[in-house]
Amino acid sequence: MQDIQYVGEHLIPGHIGQMAIMLGFSTALLSTIAYFFATQRREQPAEAANWLRIGRFSFLIHGISVFTLIGTMFYVMINQYYEYQYVQAHVSEDLPMKYIFSAFWEGQEGSFLLWMFWHIVLGGVLMATGRRWEAPTLSLLSSVQVFLGSMILGIYIGFGDDPMRLGSNPMMLLRDMVDAPIFQSADYVSQITGTGLNPLLQNYWMTIHPPTLFLGFASTTIPFAYAIAALWTNDHKAWLKPALRWSLFSGAILGIGILMGGAWAYEALSFGGYWAWDPVENMSLVPWLFLIAGIHTNLIANATGHSIRSTHVFYALTFIFILYSTFLTRSGVLGDTSVHAFTEMGLETQLILLIGFYIVLSAALIGKRYSSIPAPQKEEATASREFWMFIGSLVLLFSGLIISASTSLPVYNKIMTYFNPDYIGRVITDPVPHYNKYQIWIAVFISLLSGVSQYLRFREPNFSKQLKKFSIHTVAALGIAALLTYLTTLWIAMNAWQYTVMLFFGWFTIVANVDYLFTVAKARLKMAGSAVSHVGFGMMIIGILASGLNQEVISNNTFVMEGLIEGATEDQLRKNVILFKDSPLIMGDYEVTYVSDTVSQFSRTFKVNYKRRDASGDVVEEFNLYPNILYDKSFTKVAASNPSTKRYLDRDIFTHIASLPRVEIDMEYRKNREDSLNYKVYEALIGETIAFQDTVPIRDQDTFFVKRFRAELVSIDRDPSHPDYAKEEGDLPIGATIRIQRLDEDSVFIVQPVLVLRGQMLYSYPVQVNDISSKVRLSEGIFDAIFGREVNMEYQPFTFKEGDQITYNGHTIQFAGFNKNPEHEAYEPQEEDIAVSAMISVQGQDGNSYMAQPLYLIRGSRPLNLKDEISELGLHFRFTGINPQEETVEVMIGQAETGGEHPIPFEVATDSLRADYIVLEAIEFPGINLFWLGSTMMMIGLFMSMLVRMQQRRQVA
Amino acid sequence: MKKIYIIAIIMVGVAIAMLTSAADDMSTYATFADAEQSGERVKIAGQLSKDKEMHYDPEVDPNYFSFYIKDAEGDERKVVLLSEKPEDFELSEQIVLTGSMKGDEFVATDMLMKCPSKYKEEEVYIKSEAG
Repeated sequence: MQDIQYVGEHLIPGHIGQMAIMLGFSTALLSTIAYFFATQRREQPAEAANWLRIGRFSFLIHGISVFTLIGTMFYVMINQYYEYQYVQAHVSEDLPMKYIFSAFWEGQEGSFLLWMFWHIVLGGVLMATGRRWEAPTLSLLSSVQVFLGSMILGIYIGFGDDPMRLGSNPMMLLRDMVDAPIFQSADYVSQITGTGLNPLLQNYWMTIHPPTLFLGFASTTIPFAYAIAALWTNDHKAWLKPALRWSLFSGAILGIGILMGGAWAYEALSFGGYWAWDPVENMSLVPWLFLIAGIHTNLIANATGHSIRSTHVFYALTFIFILYSTFLTRSGVLGDTSVHAFTEMGLETQLILLIGFYIVLSAALIGKRYSSIPAPQKEEATASREFWMFIGSLVLLFSGLIISASTSLPVYNKIMTYFNPDYIGRVITDPVPHYNKYQIWIAVFISLLSGVSQYLRFREPNFSKQLKKFSIHTVAALGIAALLTYLTTLWIAMNAWQYTVMLFFGWFTIVANVDYLFTVAKARLKMAGSAVSHVGFGMMIIGILASGLNQEVISNNTFVMEGLIEGATEDQLRKNVILFKDSPLIMGDYEVTYVSDTVSQFSRTFKVNYKRRDASGDVVEEFNLYPNILYDKSFTKVAASNPSTKRYLDRDIFTHIASLPRVEIDMEYRKNREDSLNYKVYEALIGETIAFQDTVPIRDQDTFFVKRFRAELVSIDRDPSHPDYAKEEGDLPIGATIRIQRLDEDSVFIVQPVLVLRGQMLYSYPVQVNDISSKVRLSEGIFDAIFGREVNMEYQPFTFKEGDQITYNGHTIQFAGFNKNPEHEAYEPQEEDIAVSAMISVQGQDGNSYMAQPLYLIRGSRPLNLKDEISELGLHFRFTGINPQEETVEVMIGQAETGGEHPIPFEVATDSLRADYIVLEAIEFPGINLFWLGSTMMMIGLFMSMLVRMQQRRQVA
Repeated sequence: MKKIYIIAIIMVGVAIAMLTSAADDMSTYATFADAEQSGERVKIAGQLSKDKEMHYDPEVDPNYFSFYIKDAEGDERKVVLLSEKPEDFELSEQIVLTGSMKGDEFVATDMLMKCPSKYKEEEVYIKSEAG
């Protein structure tokens, strides 16, 4: 193949990017090795210091390389250099700049880079604050960067026809990745355009959710790095405090990241909930559960010296499950079990290697050091806090493992098929009840433990002294919780005893932790973190029960989720309702009306009105919701449907457009549909009433139905208006007012169809009359009928002085003077216009008086005139000049054939069904704010604990 | 023996019990014939018959969408989904349905579609004015 000299390509950023990728990868490797030897040679301070310097320097260069790469990618994306594959796949001309970040991390390569970016930031903090932990932790962190960096290398290893590709390079040129005929032309760059960001992701959540989640992912590496560093250097106490600070940070950030995903699903996507036990959601939750378990064993280790080994295991599990989650979501193995769309990129082998490496590393190190990790000989007392906290951690581990087991079913299937090709894979029939039925009991245990353990003390030497106090508090808390549970059941219905148990323990942990906060912790900020988190957990439980169990589809008046653990019946799943424009429908407590809709660019927003009336019918509450849809670029389908939610303190009303009439979805279909309507042409003079009839075949029957109509052409309008018509300069619009009626009905409908001549194109704006299933539009012939008789009209010039009077075709015409503030229906004043109209009064042959005001205008030193007419007499006037010396004006007068003689044609289709409806889904979520408030409090509690511990560190130092 | 071990053993026991009971929640991808025979709620994976009629008329019933799919054995049946017609339905390559047979029809309450990836290599978007 001959070499083509391409024009218009921007290759320099590509070269810079490629260099940055290579440099970033090799410096990560160098940093790993240098920090490795800085740790290994720690007994020889001089040598270790040299290694440390190399480690720092190479990590710094690594950081600069990755930042350069990210910067280069943004540069080519912002400039829309579509010759780069990544730009072509994620950017388009109409992508608003505010979504450039979303477009960056929409792709796998971008999201790996985001992850690496956070590792570098956290690595910098670790370098500055890690002291003697710097070398081993950064060695581990750099090794993770080596693996992540290999994901974007994009080099081929091996020989032959099918070499293994290592990573997917984000700076590749499109022509190097795709073989298409277009690359035969040298100027292909000017011919291609971008695919752009998936409209579902064009949302501010896509801007904030991924960076938060990836900061969460990246931050789990740090406690793991400390755990490995402790095993490596055989120092088993000193790491616990810094690791705990980092894991509290990580727990809060990862938790917020997961919650943002839930909030996104609930608020902006039409999933109708915040959690669906989707594999991708599950696999971000599991590492968080392990991390929380690790935080608890870390606390135990700090306070008592127990559980150091478990802390190692939990931090290792957290990191490994972050990697496993990455593998599941990016390898394509989940296939058709997840709504999240992921594409295979051939990174499976690399991802498995990555997971395998860290499993082996942590297992080997834990195994090697197991016996040298100190553990108190004496067993934890049964009535001590550490004992029950540890049980709690085990419950969290258990929860995470069973979620992983169910979620990993596709992986299990794949492995089985590998050994036995005939193996038939298994699937979970209804995932939501499946997960719920186990996790309910996890929630019950965790609530119980997080309530009771607050009343216990670490290293309890003598519980019998505490017994009385413990019993009083516990019994009181149980009593109050029982009362609150009863009160709650008055508000939300519990459909099964399991839910009531869960509710009770949710309240118990709230009561116990509030009690702890005031009686034991004495409201001291230092000890408040855990209480705040645990109260939050209890509130979250109640919020889940309230919003999940009593979630009511008001667009169908049934409880949809009666069985969180049993599954919904078919009738409960009928969630949609059809809502015709201006026809109110009763939904739940509300009278719901689809009021109007507005289109702006690709989005169409619907106004849905909700009214609540009291017994006497008076409106006691009213609000509007604005769900919207986003069309794709060709206006042939709905690309995204965004719900709108009314938020109350105690519940939410969620509304979303499930579907639209096809003519409103697909503009091509709409045009074909319009063309296929059975329009018939009728003609009428102005003021004339005509009658007509139409026969309509009745669906599925061999009979016809005769419909009789009457229509009156009321008037013709030269400056018409129509809801869909936006006037442009140079338009020649014609409108007609027509009264139309079906003879067997009393109602008369007034319609105003419009026809516009714009350049060489005719635009028709018909009017639909739903009540008689008819559509009225103007025929093209209307232009001939109105203008045709003016085309051949001959004007005669006349010169007038003010007050002059002439006779023309039997009409007496007088120039009555100037109007310095002229008004003319076709005239829109502009600054610096000199405009004046001539007031011409006419005494018609018919004995009536008329007035015409043709307009004379100087705009930008160019004289213009706008004519006026007296349609009753067929007289047309043009004001063509002023002679200031003589004080005369020049007016051209023309006589057209008088109106009324030419009938005006218009068309009526009587088979046009109404299409002004929306298919709506409306759900009421009671108590959902308890979920948001509770889960947010959990994260705030983690932050509080972290801040307190950072302060303690400063006081020590 | 340490108390922790006792509790750990109890947990492992519970886990085994759970996994055993979880087997009831699982099934294999069924065919229409299986679904007909068992009458239970099953998951069916199949391909949309693009030449057959798809029907969604919200004015009649906004929760009724019918179409035809071929299951793994090539058996073609009518499917009724109790929901609106999803966007891009025609483009779907594979469809996974959860539901049960009612007479000749498979009534589905849940559906997952797999659509072709936008990263397909042969797709290069050409500006319309350049053509």
